[in-house]
Amino acid sequence: MTTELPYAADAEVSLSYDELEVLRLQYQKELSQSHVTIQTKFNYAWGLVKSPVREHQVEGVRLLQEIYRAEPTRRRECLYYLALGYYKMGNYEEARRFNSLLMEKEPSNLQAQSLAHLIDERVTKEGYIGMALAGGAAAIGAILLTSLIRRAARK
Amino acid sequence: MSGDKDKGPVNVKLLLIGNSSVGKSSLLLRFSDEQWLPEDESSATIGVDFRVHKMEVKGRKVKLSIWDTAGQERFRTITSSYYRGAQGIILVYDVANRESFDALPRWYSELETYVSQAVVKIIVGNKVDKEFSRQVTYAEGQRFAERMNSLFVEASAKTSTGVKEAFQQVVEKILDTPELWAPVTKRPGVGLNADNGSMPGSINLSEPQGSSAEGGGGCGC
Ligand SMILES: Nc1nc2c(ncn2[C@@H]2O[C@H](COP(=O)(O)OP(=O)(O)OP(=O)(O)O)[C@@H](O)[C@H]2O)c(=O)[nH]1
Ligand SMILES: [Mg+2]
Repeated sequence: MTTELPYAADAEVSLSYDELEVLRLQYQKELSQSHVTIQTKFNYAWGLVKSPVREHQVEGVRLLQEIYRAEPTRRRECLYYLALGYYKMGNYEEARRFNSLLMEKEPSNLQAQSLAHLIDERVTKEGYIGMALAGGAAAIGAILLTSLIRRAARK
Repeated sequence: MSGDKDKGPVNVKLLLIGNSSVGKSSLLLRFSDEQWLPEDESSATIGVDFRVHKMEVKGRKVKLSIWDTAGQERFRTITSSYYRGAQGIILVYDVANRESFDALPRWYSELETYVSQAVVKIIVGNKVDKEFSRQVTYAEGQRFAERMNSLFVEASAKTSTGVKEAFQQVVEKILDTPELWAPVTKRPGVGLNADNGSMPGSINLSEPQGSSAEGGGGCGC
């Protein structure tokens, strides 16, 4: 019907500086008390992954991986946000790997399906760019070659 | 400039909230795709899901963006960041689950921290197909909705009873409240607000005091 393109809400919108700051401060506070709750860590990791800043995304993914290992009950959301984080970082292989793990467990999860489409779309798009570049190089090669042949022929 | 009708579509943001498993995602899937997933195939929402839906209400084109939030407690902080800019809130409970109905006041107190009074609210009592195991009567739901100044509908995502009506009603009421969508809307402050969660590490996203609300300096986009 009128539903549009695949969409991953959390991939598009990032938090404001202040919002991320609230999550960071909470995390820092607990760190300094040397007891970080999984919830605080997860909230902060989520905020980081949503950020447009690459270092944030990298840090977010690192925290999510720690939670994934430490807390089996949080695995499904970790898989989802790990996939999302890698997707945003442009690491589509890892994005696909984590998203597939989620889809193995929940084959009809619509959010995972939508994210899978998004990843595929990006790969295709950037694949075209890659091909265009490679194609461009081939074209230049061909020009060089013909000019060489021409030159050789002239001798 | 000619009449209202020639202007582009009205953009409306709706938010679905309510306890986990009451059927928010199922209602949205039924409404936007006319689909229904078998009970054992649907999965709890992770964080938030999103859909765009176009419809025509009262002769006006409306572009709905619908944010389907996760009801599980662990996502409370995440989902609280999505109230910003919402013009309509759909509060869902399960008529065969008393607990989900009793939780509504908590949902109201959360939403009141994030949205202005003018925002349109509708309570949807879902799963009416489970009539045999009903725990909340229609009258009870309606009475509560009246008290909370909200619209009320009973529905079933499974049979599609009442689903379209629910969305239609919120949108109509929003269109009847131009201050919600006409330009120069004053948006209440939103964001993270430490220390408002019932569980450790659960905090609300609400901008630090003084930085928003009246100043109008914040970007309401
Ligand atoms: N019988 C019946 N079951 C329903 C109806 N709507 C949803 N369900 C079932 O209720 C369960 C939960 O539905 P969801 O739509 O995932 O619930 P939700 O509110 O989105 O849950 P969260 O994402 O965790 O917040 C699923 O098994 C659905 O199939 C309904 O109208 N009737
Ligand atoms: Mg859901």
